[in-house]
Amino acid sequence: MIKKKGTSLFRLLMLVWLVVALACGMAVLSNFQTTQKLPWEPLIPLIIFSVAIPTTVIWLKMLGWQGDSGFVGIVFLLCGLGLVTQIRLSGFEDGLVSPKALLPLPIGFFAFLVGVTFTGGRRGKWISSAGWPAYFAALAVIAVMLIFGRHYRGGIYLPGLINPSELIKPLLVLFMAAFLANRAKAFSETQIGIPTPPLSSMVQLIFLWAIPMAGTLLLKDLGLMVILNAILIVMLFAVSRRSGYLALGCVAVTAAGYGVQIISSNARDRFAVWLHPFADATGKGWQVLQSLSAMYSGGMWGAGIGAGDPRFVPIASSDFVYAALAEEIGFIGCILVLCLYAILFVRGFRAAGLIKAPFERLFCVGLTATLAVQTVFNIAGVTKALPMTGITLPLISHGGSSLIVTLLVTGLITGLSDTRR
Amino acid sequence: MAEWVNQILKVDFSIHILLILKVLFLIVLFWAVLALFGSSLPKQKMKFNYVLLGWIFCGSLFAVLAYQSTWQLGGMARPEFMKFMRTYNRRENAASQQSLRGPIFDRRGMVLAAPQAGSIWKRRYPLSEAAVHPLGYYNFRYGITAVERASESLLSGLIQDPESLAKSILLKRAEQGGSVNLTLDSRLQKRAYDLLRKRRGAVVIMNPGNGELLALVSSPGFNPQNPAPALRDFKGKPIFNRAVQGRYPPGSTFKIVIAGAALNNGVSPTYNCPPGGYIAGTGHKTIRDSEYYSAQRKEGTWRGWGKINMKEAMTHSSNVYFSQLGAACTGEQLAKVMQSVQIDQEICYFNGSSGDLKCVAGGMPKLNSRWDRAQCAIGQGDLLVSPLHVACFTAAAANRGGLFAPKLNLQTPVQELSQPFTAATAYTLKVMLREVVKRGTGQGIDLDGLDVCGKTGTAEVSGAKDHSWFTCFAPLSKPEIVVTVLIENGGYGAAAALPVAKELLLEADKLGYIKKSRRKRK
Repeated sequence: MIKKKGTSLFRLLMLVWLVVALACGMAVLSNFQTTQKLPWEPLIPLIIFSVAIPTTVIWLKMLGWQGDSGFVGIVFLLCGLGLVTQIRLSGFEDGLVSPKALLPLPIGFFAFLVGVTFTGGRRGKWISSAGWPAYFAALAVIAVMLIFGRHYRGGIYLPGLINPSELIKPLLVLFMAAFLANRAKAFSETQIGIPTPPLSSMVQLIFLWAIPMAGTLLLKDLGLMVILNAILIVMLFAVSRRSGYLALGCVAVTAAGYGVQIISSNARDRFAVWLHPFADATGKGWQVLQSLSAMYSGGMWGAGIGAGDPRFVPIASSDFVYAALAEEIGFIGCILVLCLYAILFVRGFRAAGLIKAPFERLFCVGLTATLAVQTVFNIAGVTKALPMTGITLPLISHGGSSLIVTLLVTGLITGLSDTRR
Repeated sequence: MAEWVNQILKVDFSIHILLILKVLFLIVLFWAVLALFGSSLPKQKMKFNYVLLGWIFCGSLFAVLAYQSTWQLGGMARPEFMKFMRTYNRRENAASQQSLRGPIFDRRGMVLAAPQAGSIWKRRYPLSEAAVHPLGYYNFRYGITAVERASESLLSGLIQDPESLAKSILLKRAEQGGSVNLTLDSRLQKRAYDLLRKRRGAVVIMNPGNGELLALVSSPGFNPQNPAPALRDFKGKPIFNRAVQGRYPPGSTFKIVIAGAALNNGVSPTYNCPPGGYIAGTGHKTIRDSEYYSAQRKEGTWRGWGKINMKEAMTHSSNVYFSQLGAACTGEQLAKVMQSVQIDQEICYFNGSSGDLKCVAGGMPKLNSRWDRAQCAIGQGDLLVSPLHVACFTAAAANRGGLFAPKLNLQTPVQELSQPFTAATAYTLKVMLREVVKRGTGQGIDLDGLDVCGKTGTAEVSGAKDHSWFTCFAPLSKPEIVVTVLIENGGYGAAAALPVAKELLLEADKLGYIKKSRRKRK
């Protein structure tokens, strides 16, 4: 029925490898120019990347996977760009790439393969019954975070800077997919465009949703709350096909934004910085203004990978990685990178649209929305288009746990895009 | 291995490789985007909401991208952002507004001011306080002064016209501002500053043949990287450039101008210089020779110079003679010469891209009465000049009567300002000034083989010690260097200023500014 995509995937990944190798070479050479030293350490992550590509291709072939190879290609390309930025940011400073920066990538690739294996082909059927366990697992993660978590730079982490709250997103998406899949009809009822689902469904949804929301409020993780709500809105829209949910969502988000601003001083600060960054330029506005300075320094063509000065941007390796990237690959490079993201989302939603089973379709929509919402909010925050939300940039930020979970999510989507279903 | 690679990848070479890599990277990335976009899923009917979701997220991404461009590309249209960048951007590689400020060199290409890594506001001044007055400082808090200010647009490489602005967005922006070459010799500048030993004073060293300023020193100096303490020092006023902004009575050095004025008009009289001095007008102080006072101090008697000519009077710096000469000249004659040596002018000594630097205009005295003219003739009274003015009229005497505009910018063309003295006058002046050094008040500077000509000056200051002047040039046959030294409240001209000028002439000779071949012939 469908042409085999295996060779095409390999060819795409070879192209991806070429881009990453070029970027890597550029970083090393720039370093040579300033320090007169040719570091060999950046080769290690490049080797990991080079091993991951054939492994993935062989693994997918063994699974008999026939999905969207373009999606996989973009995942690897974005990961590769993130990898190069990571080498460039952490590697040169101490002269070698620290093992801490090296670990997430191989683990992440493994998580990707695990994800594909879970949902690829007909193997993933059992996941549909995992809705409730996923819900309680998410609550358990929140509980663990509340008990053992430590505040660090506005977020909560477990010892060793592990952030399991990343897991909450796919777990809740799984639960919502299972929950909504059975209630598609109930949530599509409307009156004059306004969604009016039956009271019982509404109450159930609000009650079940309020518990994790309360948890995120207690964790003071506003970014997570924003993402989860945005995902919920997207999933409701997907299941009901009523655009009233989108409008309702926009109203709700604006209202919630003002509400949160009253409750939390942290959120208030972020709003103030967003509206008046120069009022406290050296204090609260410093980070975002340094990020914009980096972009301005990059200009149209960029400084070249390794030739910029992203070390002046605070937290350049995780939340503000886009600023570092923008400085080095320029506005042209940014357009290309955002094109990659755009294609990634379109392909994700497209894969979902082609799935017939309602649960898996919703699951795919939710997972893609996770990536899309995070990307939009991160980039908007770094460019000061929206207030900062403290969200990492999927695939390019190497925050450790966030990279692993993001790769798991993309793995799941890759598996779901398998057309043999 | 590493050395081998180093050999191949010479820094210049690696820049080219980097550029090629950068272009290649963007092309391959673009290719990859196309390939990933093109490898599509089989065409199948899609439900509307999934297409819409894709569009919504794509739309918001590109809306953010559009907003990003207003900072990344159009940041220069945001004044507040530009101000922030100028202040807090710590990048060295920089865009037009925050580009690396260009360096300032001396005449031999030695660095006088250069950008420093770390901040666009940081600047390195190898001579530090020795050259702070001509160079000025460049400070975020206290502003920009002197040459740094007058060359602002050249040094900072500011882009002003819209065409190059558009170019700067599309292409890489200006990397570094232009450079300025000064006529200063950093070695002479440093030596002169050291010789002043923090005394309040100034030194001007000039080439009379083209007006180039080899040194322009004011003392005390201050650290250009931190002008704050100097700005608060109201007593020593280190911020004040005494060489061009100071106004002092020229004292006996002005006898050069008066003698020149008389000689221009063909007057070279012999006057009786009695010990009792000269009374220029009723109700005014008697003008006496300095020997009268020193004899008085030693309780001896001063017999006066008797009947002397101009040469003798110049040699011994006779106030009695010159006050009579001044009184004998008409007001117009004196004013004409004084205007011709630019006493009443703000002499421009630096033409920069953003403005000129000028010295202060001297104070022209009234020349109506005999007393006024007599006072003027001995450089007292209302007559005030800056050390640069003194250097200028000395240079005119040295250079066959022609005065070249003093210049600090090596790129400025040589320009003849005026002809204060006739060639014959200038020749006579030269011979007289040589006598001063040979057997007169300037004997201390009669350096072997240099044929120094000079004039001491001791300017009376009410209520304080006299200002000490010495202005000279060398060699006699074809003067190549003019040295003017002023030491505030230094006392007698020969005591404080002359030794400084002597050391500077020796230094200039050592550095080759006085040509040996001519000296040997003499």
